[in-house]
Amino acid sequence: MREVAVIGVGQSTFGKFPQRSVVELGREAVLAALNDASVSPKDIQVAYASRLYDVGTMAQAILKEVGISGLEMVNVENACAGGATAFRGVWKDIATGLYDIGIAIGVESMTTSPIARKLIPPAKDDLEGQLGLTMPGIFAILARRQMHEYGATLEDFAMISVKNHHHGCLNPFAQYRKEFTVEEILNSRMICDPITLLQCCPNTDGAAAAILCSMKIAKRYTTKPIKVIGSALLSGDYTYLQKDITISPLGSKTAKMAYEMAGVGPEDIDVVELHDAFANEEMLRYEELGLCKPGEGVRLVREKATWVGGKTPVNPSGGLLALGHPLSASGVRNIAEIVWHLRGQAGDRQTPNAKIGLAHMLGGAVAGLEAGACGIHILAR
Amino acid sequence: MANRVPIREGAFMESPAGGILLANKCKSCGEVFFPKAVFCLSCFNEDMEDLRLSRKGKLYSYTIGLMASMHFEPPYAIGYVVLPEGVRIFAPLEIVESKPFRIDMEMEVIIDKLWQEDDNEVIGYKFKPV
Repeated sequence: MREVAVIGVGQSTFGKFPQRSVVELGREAVLAALNDASVSPKDIQVAYASRLYDVGTMAQAILKEVGISGLEMVNVENACAGGATAFRGVWKDIATGLYDIGIAIGVESMTTSPIARKLIPPAKDDLEGQLGLTMPGIFAILARRQMHEYGATLEDFAMISVKNHHHGCLNPFAQYRKEFTVEEILNSRMICDPITLLQCCPNTDGAAAAILCSMKIAKRYTTKPIKVIGSALLSGDYTYLQKDITISPLGSKTAKMAYEMAGVGPEDIDVVELHDAFANEEMLRYEELGLCKPGEGVRLVREKATWVGGKTPVNPSGGLLALGHPLSASGVRNIAEIVWHLRGQAGDRQTPNAKIGLAHMLGGAVAGLEAGACGIHILAR
Repeated sequence: MANRVPIREGAFMESPAGGILLANKCKSCGEVFFPKAVFCLSCFNEDMEDLRLSRKGKLYSYTIGLMASMHFEPPYAIGYVVLPEGVRIFAPLEIVESKPFRIDMEMEVIIDKLWQEDDNEVIGYKFKPV
């Protein structure tokens, strides 16, 4: 396997833009990434794009707008892990020597999707979904169990949302740039008890893109290539094997694979972007990623260790909660965020002297499985 | 009269004692599956025996939904119940004012109408506080 570098990243502003098409959002992100990498459109050899809703052959539709055509283009879907899957697709093609340079795109327009303003509907043969299990329902059931098992409180969960909204205020791309107090979060509309509206990620439109190339040619484009040192993607295992729903074999297995490939451990990670679709979810991910021991997520929240300025900032971008969550875009977008921290370009939310960062995504509810997919990438400067 | 259509064929039955969930069990490794698996998903053994699950179990966790889901208007309750056979079942929960939900409380299976779909009444299983 060859060493692969990220040489350019870009994202559109995230928010509700019902008048903007997915192609327009995607074009904005691709142009930003090409510009960031100083790469000419004619240099691109392979492209992967991810989207859950909207038309097919999305990569072709976006890239024809910027002079890229007539090459291998692959369109993937893996629910919220779709962006991470597209990134990994490009990484694999370059690492194995098939191509030297390629682009990964994630894009979603939730406001123009068939599910705008609704919960994601279950598939016809999804028995649990038909019986009333929804995304906020899953995480509300988890929250009750976290309170029961670990003594987590409603205030602990709300504090995670306070943090990520605070971080969103530091990020010009964020959908919500507004501070909230614990009381405001707990008193917002109840969605699935105990999860309130301000503990749920919003509906968001947006896109992100990343340009990867072999380390061998990276120096042609930049003096600051960011190395992809770990990449892992796994599907969820059966829930009957999961004895405690607050302990995720999927998350810890994927993290172990990524850490082993990277040759680093959780203690080496300076900054993390992870899937915080719901505030209480972030606490579970701390443990799977090894940022603390099992059962110690509550402590990490109370010590404010994951705030910008803390020991290991988590979701300095504002995360899905404040930056917003255009499903398939988020997995490319959070890699872009890590790249900015490693380059020292993250502005007011910069992690001081960040050397290694981790981007995590989780996607999909499948009845009988723990989740659809988990994707983790570890990057280093 | 409306047709009664089960949400999943062969997943449950009604008995004089009440609702019963229909599972199957691997004759080799003993793993229990609900709904039934075509063969053992753990050891791939094809020799499976039908198993009627216990009617009562313990509430593992729950939530009360206050935003409409596909078939249920708020407030509706959902959660997991663990049955003595070791299976954790997801199902709608019946809200009983005098018996507020708490983890580990005893629950029993009931068979009930879940929702109406044109002329069909969709029938399924729920858990109710004992």
